[in-house]
Amino acid sequence: MNAHLRDMREGDVGAVAALEAISFRDPWSAGAFREELAAPRRAYLVAEEATELVGYVGIMLVDDDAHLMNLAVRPDRRGEGLGRSLAGEAMARASAMGATRMTLEVRPSNASAIALYESLGMISVGERPGYYADTGEAALIMWGDLPAAGGAVRLGTDDAPYTELILAIETSCDETAAAVMRGGRELLADVVASQIDFHARFGGVVPEIASRKHTEAIVGVVDEALALAGEALGYDAPLPFAALDAIAVTHGPGLVGALVVGLAYAKGLAMATGLPLVGVNHLEGHIFANVLADPEVGPPLVALVVSGGHTSLVHMPEWGVYRTLGETLDDATGEAFDKVAKVLGLGYPGGPILSRLAEEGDPAAIEFPRAMMRSGDYAFSLSGLKTAVINHIRHEQQAGREIHVPDLAASFQQAIIDVQVAKAVRAVEETGATSFCLAGGVAANPALRRALTGAMERLGVHVSVPPLHLCTDNAAMIAAAAHYRYLRGERLGLDAEPITSLRLDTE
Amino acid sequence: MRELLLTLDTSTEITSVGLAWLTETTLETFASAVVDAPRAAMSRVLPTASSLLAGGMLSVRDVRAVIVGRGPGSFTGVRIGVATAKGLAHGLGVPLWGVGTLDAIAWGIAADRPMLLGVLGDAMRGEVYPALFRCGNGRAERLAPDEVATPADVAREWARLGEPLTLAGNGLRKYGDLFTDALGDGATLADELLWAPYAEGLFRAFAAARAAGELGSGEPGELLPIYTRLSDAEENEAARAGRASGQTPSSGVAGESR
Repeated sequence: MNAHLRDMREGDVGAVAALEAISFRDPWSAGAFREELAAPRRAYLVAEEATELVGYVGIMLVDDDAHLMNLAVRPDRRGEGLGRSLAGEAMARASAMGATRMTLEVRPSNASAIALYESLGMISVGERPGYYADTGEAALIMWGDLPAAGGAVRLGTDDAPYTELILAIETSCDETAAAVMRGGRELLADVVASQIDFHARFGGVVPEIASRKHTEAIVGVVDEALALAGEALGYDAPLPFAALDAIAVTHGPGLVGALVVGLAYAKGLAMATGLPLVGVNHLEGHIFANVLADPEVGPPLVALVVSGGHTSLVHMPEWGVYRTLGETLDDATGEAFDKVAKVLGLGYPGGPILSRLAEEGDPAAIEFPRAMMRSGDYAFSLSGLKTAVINHIRHEQQAGREIHVPDLAASFQQAIIDVQVAKAVRAVEETGATSFCLAGGVAANPALRRALTGAMERLGVHVSVPPLHLCTDNAAMIAAAAHYRYLRGERLGLDAEPITSLRLDTE
Repeated sequence: MRELLLTLDTSTEITSVGLAWLTETTLETFASAVVDAPRAAMSRVLPTASSLLAGGMLSVRDVRAVIVGRGPGSFTGVRIGVATAKGLAHGLGVPLWGVGTLDAIAWGIAADRPMLLGVLGDAMRGEVYPALFRCGNGRAERLAPDEVATPADVAREWARLGEPLTLAGNGLRKYGDLFTDALGDGATLADELLWAPYAEGLFRAFAAARAAGELGSGEPGELLPIYTRLSDAEENEAARAGRASGQTPSSGVAGESR
């Protein structure tokens, strides 16, 4: 069974009304479904296979109670568990929308439906006489408790998984990326077109080149992601836009000219398809690279986000809630690595080359300053260290001594690691976080991964370092983060502009 | 049978959007809008398109092709238009066609009366995008490909033509005097209201390219902006190497393409 569930849209109403007409003796009209879709506190879902509608369900919320309005499965697809999936998803949605109980009416003669609802924990509480106009039959009234929503938004579980399909687009720096995700966890496609070769000879990312390459690559990258997603779902064709539930895009922070391309394209796509557009913070994406790789990562958590553009400690007390505890006052970690590598003439990208050399050096060989180590807060400063390293190099050169590059690299790296580990440990202790995760491009640094893993394990905290392929920019992490924003109903308008210094903090 | 076309251009400081009906023999612009505000393209282009469609009781799903101004102009501005148009056409599953922004200006001006038209786009950093068109019978025939040059060089070259010249384009706001001085009595400024790429000009340039079979594949993935210049980093690299940057490749980035 390859059916997937997604929100019902205006364009589904014709097919829904047709299925309604063959399923019930007193069917709703297409107009009635249209009115329901426009009404507040409703959730209408369809089950779809390839592009064919095979079932639907609808709920309405009244106070804390969810009313199951209708549920139907195409006659040739009954008995495959589709009804159960639809009802389960409707219950999960109701719960996420704040309902605590669900109720419904069912014909006493419909034994299979009653059995289905009973299997979901609903019980018969009475009858509503003369409810069905066609036969004068009474309706059986059923009630059941909904599973608790567990915090702000619940992750899909085995009994009620989320199944929405999100296409995510990421162009905040020098990777053009697209991914398709089902239910926030199941990655169906993950495509990255790297531009690294075009920037290498300039020793850093050239924003104008990045923007041009994004413009050139974006459609092809999305097409490839849709083709892979279609394959993953067992279709004979690429996943059509019509099968998606939302489009997600990196909204910031990043290079403005680069962000513009992904956002302008995504807005055009959203307008053309009528799909909701969900904006994602790039840093949030890096944190979600961990969630994607390790299902045990969850709030309350502390994340250390270290990349070429960022160095910050972030507290996530619950899903989707962020507080930046502290960040760098000057250079980002990756930037400091790249600058020191450049002074040493190590090539591009310098950071990874430097950290590879550091593996062979003595981290105690040279005593570099541990800036802000005792500042009493969570701020970082790296420019002083970078200057100290450059001064050391000059000093040694003037003295006619040869520089032992591995020792220098190891000592420089250790100075950064010592401060970051100390502050990360304190952040976990002070917030009472139960998970710690490392995020961002510098999360690929082996020494930093080892040091943080060791320190957090000693604290008894669940620690996650992302797999190497998820450390660099990608759209899979954007799709994973988009899942929560989508469920919370967060949307970007067609007037959205990129925000180069978009804050992660909520409130 | 008539087909709905949507056009947009955000290469200059104005955001231009329009709708037209295309039949086998005619192309009629029936709605257009201009947002005259610098840096407003990102926030205004799609809402403007939405309200034009709503005003015509039409849905975006009725659109059968998208036509975009490819520049040259502000690099970011051109990309906003091109990326937006790619998203629209890709999402709708319809062709995406491109026309030159300076061509759209020329086709907007071209009338029955024969004239030589010089369009000057502002290229920033003391340069212009010049393009000469032979106009008449309601047509504008381009005489040379898009390029970037200093205003003084262009003025000298155009003065040497020894022919009366009508001038248009936002480059004239900065360099109008330089051109009228260099060209003397031979120069006439077109009405300033006509210096921008409006929907009508975009559609007429499209119709001409279509009739001439010069539209390209229509694949949203293949359409690229017109830059005329490499990025500064690449231009500087070429200058350091002591060579002219030469022709800008179609992708706008030198070196191996994927």
